[in-house]
This record gives sequence, C-alpha cells and structure tokens, in this order.
Amino acid sequence: MDLPRVGTLRRTLPYSLRFAREYVLPLWRWYLPGVAAVLITNWLGVQVPTRMAVGLDKLRAGEVGVATEAMWIAIIGVVVIGVRTLSRVWFFTPGRIAESRMRESFFAALLRLQPGFYSRSPTGDLLSRATSDVTFARALAGFALMQGANAIAGLVAGIGSMLMLSPILTVAVVIPCVLAYLAVSWVTPQLMAMQRVSQKQLGELADELLSSFQGVATVQAFCAEETFTRRLDDRAANLRASSLKMTRLRVIAIPLLTVAGGVATWMLLAVGGGAVRNGHLTAGELAAFVALVAFVVMPLRVVGWLLPVFQRAEASLERIYLVLDEPVERPDLGLARRPPARAPSLTFRDLSFAFGDAPDRPVLHGISTTIAGGSTVGIHGSVASGKSTLLRLLARLQNPPPGTVFVDGVDLRELDLDAWRTGLCLVTQTPFLFSETIEENIGFGAGRAAVAAAAHEAALATDLDALPAGLDTVVGERGIALSGGQRQRVALARGLLRPASLVLLDDVLSAVDPRTERELLTTLRSRTEATRIIVSHRLSALVHTDRILVLAGGRLVDEGTHAELLARPGPYRDAWDTQDEPADEGGAAVRA
Amino acid sequence: MSADTASAAPWTWRSLVPFLRPDLRSFVLALGLTPIIAGLGVLQPILLKGVIDEHIIGGTGEGLQRDAGWYLAAVIAVFVVEGVYTWVLANAAENSILRLRHALFRQVLSLSQRFFERQPTGQLMSRATSDVEALNEALSAGSIALILDICLMLSALGAMFWLDWRLAGLLCLLGPPIAVVIEFTRRRMRALYAEIRDSLAAMNSYAAERIAGIEVIQLYGLELRVTERFSELNRRYRDANVMNNVYDASLYAFIDGIASVCIAVMIFWSATNAHTAVSIGLIVAFLDYIERLFRPLREISGKITFLQRASTALDKIFWLLQQDDRITPGDRSAVDAQGHLVLRDLRFRYRRDSPWILDGVSLEVQPGEVVAVVGRTGAGKSTLVRLLARVHDGYEGSITVDGVELDRIRPADIRRTVGSVRQEVQLFRDTLRFNITLDDATLDPARVEAAIRESGADRIAEKYPEGLGHVLRERGADLSAGEGQIVSLARTLARNPALVILDEATANVDPVSERILQEAIERLFAHRTCLVVAHRLSTITRADRIVVLAGGRVAEVGTHAELLALEGEYAALYREGMGAMAG
Repeated sequence: MDLPRVGTLRRTLPYSLRFAREYVLPLWRWYLPGVAAVLITNWLGVQVPTRMAVGLDKLRAGEVGVATEAMWIAIIGVVVIGVRTLSRVWFFTPGRIAESRMRESFFAALLRLQPGFYSRSPTGDLLSRATSDVTFARALAGFALMQGANAIAGLVAGIGSMLMLSPILTVAVVIPCVLAYLAVSWVTPQLMAMQRVSQKQLGELADELLSSFQGVATVQAFCAEETFTRRLDDRAANLRASSLKMTRLRVIAIPLLTVAGGVATWMLLAVGGGAVRNGHLTAGELAAFVALVAFVVMPLRVVGWLLPVFQRAEASLERIYLVLDEPVERPDLGLARRPPARAPSLTFRDLSFAFGDAPDRPVLHGISTTIAGGSTVGIHGSVASGKSTLLRLLARLQNPPPGTVFVDGVDLRELDLDAWRTGLCLVTQTPFLFSETIEENIGFGAGRAAVAAAAHEAALATDLDALPAGLDTVVGERGIALSGGQRQRVALARGLLRPASLVLLDDVLSAVDPRTERELLTTLRSRTEATRIIVSHRLSALVHTDRILVLAGGRLVDEGTHAELLARPGPYRDAWDTQDEPADEGGAAVRA
Repeated sequence: MSADTASAAPWTWRSLVPFLRPDLRSFVLALGLTPIIAGLGVLQPILLKGVIDEHIIGGTGEGLQRDAGWYLAAVIAVFVVEGVYTWVLANAAENSILRLRHALFRQVLSLSQRFFERQPTGQLMSRATSDVEALNEALSAGSIALILDICLMLSALGAMFWLDWRLAGLLCLLGPPIAVVIEFTRRRMRALYAEIRDSLAAMNSYAAERIAGIEVIQLYGLELRVTERFSELNRRYRDANVMNNVYDASLYAFIDGIASVCIAVMIFWSATNAHTAVSIGLIVAFLDYIERLFRPLREISGKITFLQRASTALDKIFWLLQQDDRITPGDRSAVDAQGHLVLRDLRFRYRRDSPWILDGVSLEVQPGEVVAVVGRTGAGKSTLVRLLARVHDGYEGSITVDGVELDRIRPADIRRTVGSVRQEVQLFRDTLRFNITLDDATLDPARVEAAIRESGADRIAEKYPEGLGHVLRERGADLSAGEGQIVSLARTLARNPALVILDEATANVDPVSERILQEAIERLFAHRTCLVVAHRLSTITRADRIVVLAGGRVAEVGTHAELLALEGEYAALYREGMGAMAG
C-alpha cells in the first residue's frame, strides 16, 4: 500500500477520549436515561425468543397457556417500541448538542487566531472542518455511543440467554462471530488511513472550488474555463480513487459479519440437531437459539458500522483539535496592562521582523525611532518596504519581538490586546466588506446617527445618495456591489467611527478626490487626542505631517519633515520628482 | 437566499440519465444481480426448515450434515454475489458523480458576473461538494439498493405464501397500518430536510465570509457579536436535526417492535387452530422471513432518506445546471485583428429599472492609436471597461472591432483581439507562472517570456528563490497591490491582444512599482492599440487623444492642450488635481 502507515486505533484514540471528556461527559444527564432505556430494550428483547421457546414446546406437548405466552410477546413488542424510541432520542439529541457546541468552540477559536495561521490554512479547508469534520464527531457522540451501548447490552442479554439454554451451542455460535470480528479489526487501520487521505482530498477540492469561483471573472476573461475545470476534475478524480479503494476493503470486511451469522446457524443445525435428537434440548429451545443468533450478530454488525465511524471521527477530531490547540499569539504574560487612553507616544527599538513562514527573509531591519504622542507621522516607501508590516505590528495582527515596540514606555506585547485594539483604528489598503448593509459594515451595531456622521466624514455621502437604499444597501459578498473606491470609503468610515487614540491609515486616502483628502487630513489633525500614522503613495497626503519616515527594503533610511527631506537627495526626493499629478478623483465608477 | 427560494427547478430523475449512461452496463449488471441475491437469500430459510423438520425433529437424522452443508453454501454464495454487486455499483456511482461534478464545474465557471453577484460562493461550493455527495449516497446505497430491498421483501413474502398461505395472509393484515405509519413519518421528515439543508447553507456561508474577513473582526473586536450570530445559525440547524431524529427513531423502533407482534400472532394462531399442523421448522423459517421482511423495511427508511436528501440536493444541482445567465458566446472568427475599435451610440444600464450608465457613447480608436478616457466617478469609465472585457452583456448600440460586432467574436479569438487589465486583480494559489499563463497551452512560449519582461513581472520573480515557480498564497496575499497589477498586466500581454483595454489603478501603487508599470505602459503604447481609463497625468499626456466622459456621454475629445484651452470639464478636472498638489 502506498499510504503512509498511520497509528493503530489505540494510538489515535486520545482525540476521541478527549472529545468524550470535553463534550460528551458534560451531557451525562441525557446519556444516563438513554443507557437505562437501552438496557430495558435489550432485556425485553430476549424475552421474546425465550417465551417463544416455552410457547412452542407447550404447543407441541398440547399443553394450555400458549395464548398467554403469545399475548405476553405482543405486549413486550409494543413496550419495546416506546422504550427503543426513547433510547435513540436520548442518545442522538446529546450527540447533536455536542456537535453544535464543538462547532461553536471551533468557530470561536478561529476568531482568535492570528494572520500567520490563516496564511497557512486555506479558507475552504477550515470551512470543511467546521462543517463536515464536526459531523463525524457528532456521529461518535450520538450514533456510535448508542450503538455501542446497544451492542454491549445485546451481547450480554443474548449470550446470557443462550448460556442458560446450552453452553456448548453458545460456544458454537460465538466462535464464527469472534473470527469475523478479528478479520474486521485487521482491516480497520487501513481503512482509517484511507479515510484521512480522502478527507484531506475533500478539503483540497473545497479549496480549489473557492479560489476558482472567487476568481471567476479572470477565468472567464482569459477563457481559462477549461484549465480550471481540469484542475477541479483532478481533485474530484483523486477523491473518487480513494473512495473506491475504501469500498474494495469494505466489500470484504463488512458482509463478513453477516456471513458469521449464517455460519453460526449452520453450526446450530450441525451440532444442535444431534442434541435435539438425543433429547438434550427441546425443539422449542433450538428455535429460540436460532432466533437468538441475531442478538450476537446484530452487535457484530454494529461493530462493522462503528469502526468506520471511529476512524472518521478520529481523523476529523484530529483536524478539529489541531485548530483548537493552535497557539494563540496573544501573549498572556499575566501583565495585561491597560493601554493609555490618550494619544500614546510610540518607540521602536531595533525592531526587526520576519513572518513565521519565511524566517530567513526579514521584512523589517533594525528600525529605531520615536513617534511623539499626538503627532501626525507619514510613512513613505516602495512596495515591500515594510510599511504595511509596521502598521500590522502596531495593530498586533502580528506580534513584534519582545522589547522592540513601546507604547508610552511599556512593551506593546504587555498591553491587554482587546483594550489596545479598542483604542486603535487601522484602515488597510484592501478593505474587507461583509455581505450585509453598509450601515452594519460601518457601525457593526453602532447607532445610525453615528454611522451617518462617519460616512459623511469619509466622503461617502454622495455615494450613498446614488445607491438604491443608501445606508441600507446590502453590499453583496465582499462588497461586490460597490466599486473599489466606494469599498475603501466604507472601510474608512468604519475606522473613523471609533474614538481611537492611535489612527493608522494604510494608503487609503487615494480612495477620495484631492479636495476630500485635504478635508480628511484636516479632520484627522483636529483629533488631538490621537496619534496618527499615515501611509500614502500619494505624497500630497504626507506634505503636512509633522514628520515623515522613509522606508526602503525594510530599513528606516531617512526621516524628517517634508521640507527637510526635499532639501537632501534620497528616495523621498526622487519620488517627489518623478511623481505625477493625479488628474481625476480616483475610484472606479459607481455601479448602481 | 435567492437560490433556495428559486429552487423549484423542473427536473426529473430522467435528467440524471446523461450522467449515468456511460456506466449503464454496470448499473444493469448490479440490477441483474439483485434477483440472484434475493433468490439465494430466500432459499436459506427453506433449507433451514427442511433440516429441522426432516432431519432433526422427524426422519432418521441421516441427511442432516449434507442438508446443513447446503445451507452453508447458500450463505457463502450470497456473500460472494453481494460483494460483486456492491463493488460494481460503487464504481458506477463514483464515475457518475465525477461526470456530474465536471458538469457543475463547467457550468459555474461559465456563468456571468451578474450571477456571482447574487450567489454566495459558499452555496455554490455546497452544490459541488455536499449536494453531490448526497447523490453519491443515493446512487450507491439508495436507488438500486432500494430495488434489492424490494426484491428481498417480495421474494420473502412469496416464499411465506408458498410455505403456508393462511399464516402468511394473516400476517399481511399488519401491512396497511405499517404503511400508514411509514408514510406519515416520511412526510414529516421531508419537510425537515429542507429546513436542515437551508440552515446548513446559511451557517456555512456566514462562516465562510467571517473567516475571509477575520482581520476586520479582530481589529474591531467583533468576536462576540459574530460568535453570537453564528450560534444562532448553528442552533437553528441543530434543532431541525433533533426534531428529525425523533421521527427517525420512532420509525426505526416501530418497525422493530412490529416483528415481535408478528411472532405473537403466529403462536396465537397455531394455538387456536390446532387442526392445522404448524411445524417448528415452519415457525423458524417464518421468523427468518419476518426478519428478512423487516430488516430491509427498517433500512428502507434510511435509504429513502438518502433518496430524499438526493432529491433536495438535485433540486439545487439542477437549478444551478439550468441557469442560463451567461455571456453569449459569439461564433465569428477574428484572426489577424488590427484593433480598430468603433463604438456607436453605446447605451447600457445594469438593470431595467436603473438609470443609463452609458447613454449614447460614440468613439473610434484607430489601429495603433492610444486613447485615454477620463472622467469623474460615475461617469461610466469602469462600465465601459466591463463591456469591452465582456464581463457584462446586453448593451444597446454597437461595439465593433475590425468591423466585427464584439459579442459575435468567438471566445477563443476574443482574448487575442481585446485584452483587458482591470483594477481588481485576481490571483490564484499557484505559481507566478501559472498566474500569468493560466495553463493556456495555445500560448506561444516566447510571447509569454516577452510579456513577463515587458510587464516587469520578472522583477517580482527575482525576489523569490523559486523565481516564477514561486507559489502564491491564497488570493496572492504575499504580493503587494502594485505587484499584483504587474502580474495582471503580464497575463494580458501574454495573449498578445491587438487592442488593450487598460483600467489604470487608482490606488496602492507606490512610485517604484509605478515606475515599473509606467515603463511597461510606455512599451505598450508604442506597440499596440490602447484604450486607457487613465488616472495619471503622465498616461493622459502620452495618449494620442483624450476622451472626457460625463454623465454617460462623450463630453469632450482632443489633446491635452486642446482640452485645456476649451476651459470645460477637462480643465476643471485638471485644476482640481493641480490644486491638491499645491496643497
């Protein structure tokens, strides 16, 4: 087999055990009556063949009381209907509860995780963990537990009743069953490994789908439909291949259990037949034995169902727990200091930084400087000069190394993250909008008046007038119903709405026309309670800042006021000399 | 959720035939094996009865081992035949699913932008993943398996009547009440399935979007708000499932319990009708048959579930397959295009009830000419680009390239005729090279290399040890916006189009990337016919002609100097730009 050998059931079991401890055990109030119902069901169940044996023998002997036996069997049948229903409901419902709780924890964990994690984990794959993998965990907590309990109770009740009738025949029935069980458990680890592969492939397919569908405009513009269909087909074909591999094993393993029942019945005839003829056993008892074979085979068949459930659940739980256990880069140093309420001063001390997935390619090199509280600082630099990374570190989307960034003299990493972000406003170059109303996208539940004011400040008012429902316009997935410029202005309004003490604008002013840009800068400067950092490729936005930092290749190569920087040769003056004056207000056309 | 309300697509199971046909032989073989499996199965209790009545209770016991051996042989034969059946069926089902997926991929990728604006991606993904899986289940464990079950039940019934028609007839009286209960439950469950599917789809698309927008959620501290909303959706899904389980459990237990009632009836009947000799072998055989009747009946509920699930899934799959919101492909070839573009009285609006975005634009671009289009936000520039890029259909008036109406040109020729570089850059999680070629085998390799140099994409590749083999992150997250635009330009240039439509980026490009782009644009202008939606003065002044759009019409045409002298719209635009520079 070309698959890597994956651990045996025992070695991988810990995930199931952990799941049991964290999600199943707390629901014991459901499972306890469920177990009782299962026990009653099975105890009543074996009463049917044993009473039948008595009835049949009485019938053959011509004795009275046969009708009473028949009546009892009918009553038991009716009662079992009710109890069995309850036993299933009391197991399946907590299974669903466990599923929904786990999905919630999973989602909550995702919300805590940092960009580094997301750059490693394709969205489609994460999504398939939250949807399909969690359902396999549920099968474990509901179906598997119920069937497991049922199987044990059935085996005990069935074998117990058999032993009371004839120990030798019991052995004759049990031997083929045990052999079949061994054969099945031999196949299990292989199925388990295949299951993992297949789930990974499903994730890959989902991922490829997501990127193809999201990039569909390009796919179509370049007539690359064939290429992308082929890429998707390849993923689907992988899925098919591994699915068929599993079927090949299952075809042999699963019916083996049914065959064992047939062999057991044959043993009853071959061995038990003689016993009846010798008078060691009554004919009714032999009939009961044949009926009781089902009580051994049923649990065995259940084991056949359970093993795949276990395999899938183990594989799925591993994928879920990998995310739940993913370390959150939100250091809880036990200090969690409150950040300053007003315009903090920022100090960088020999700040170097590389992303976790490319530790040998630092994005920032030894940056040291101080930004005074309440000042407005511009950052200028070419692509990949580290501007955006610097802002992201300040927002702690990534954590800076310890001892490199200080806020009013306190290490940034020691500040309480939530409190720090509450006082922070970062508007990025690539705004993300949710498929909700514009109001929701700006305010996230803040009052309408505040939203309208922020929209006005961000020069969104004219856009809103042109849109069919103004602030109530639903913007579509990723804001697809808006133009690029409108999306950026919505994001800007979102940022302006917060009473921030640190405002970080990552090249967003290009979304507005020059006049609005000037107004916005004035508004920003009037917010004296805040420290402001403005990254802009349009140099006009930097002219009136208190100081400009010039970054190149992740290094701070120059700093000074606009006038100072123009006075000496360097990248800033070069950029000033080569720039073009913008001839129109930017932003794409309105799409109604 | 427009997809779900509109899901009453007219389809029948017959619509599936094209997907199943290539594996018809396998499906027929599987179908052909079902009576054999049923026959072998029904033989077992008869053999059992023979052994008990003739060799154990009666007779001399001589043929006991031989006849018991026959019973064993029947058991093994079922195992073998059933194995073949399952394998053949699974193979055929998987193949069919592959074909259906292929059709879905093709279909979705062919639909227009307008369709994607209305459809959440999460839902489209469900069509090709979970909905298709539901059909797979139905094919491999639902449809023919259901026929097998019916065969098993019918043959068991037949054997019972053959063995003792009076007893069998008596047991049949239990049939109608059982049927009523099953039908009642089935109806209830069908309604719940729809709810389960809908709530799942809603939850999935919500989650997908929040994961994509995770940074905003974290920056704005929305974790709690989002978690609460997600819990709500999650709970809706859970509750529908819990209700469904109650019905499912009752049905299962009911069928199970009825078997005991049958045993009671048999014994009671034997006791009260002493004149009919009911042998123990007969009772054992009947017990076996009742088990054979009820086991499939019990599993039928599961298999019907598969079919129901498949049926709801197919509603959605075929709804999607029947969507026809696509850009009509043309059929005229356009080889050796010169790029002579003529717009005549072009009018366009996005919806029938919305205002005209383009309201009678007439414009001509001669081969080799560079025309810049400028205008304020809302003037219709981006819409013009979208029409020329064939993202949107349904314009009035005409757009011709070298005399051929744009929407009549074959898709295969159009990218060589009109190449567009749009502001929104879309990158895929694959190598830089793939992002440029999109694995188009018809591209001239030398042309691709030239395009990479012309656009400056080679300077991006230099940054990575793998060069053009560097695999981009999801959505090209490791490239800056400017770098993305350079790759996007390379992609267009690799097609060597006669006419280039360039929507110049307004934002995010720093002077250095801009310099690379400028150089690329200069090369572009020197060699090609271009229509540029321009935002930079340098671009505008290099154009042969400038067209000023206002209110969806051409307001002014001329060179930079001519237009300034005109003191109109262009002059106003220009001054606003200048004013900003002066501070």
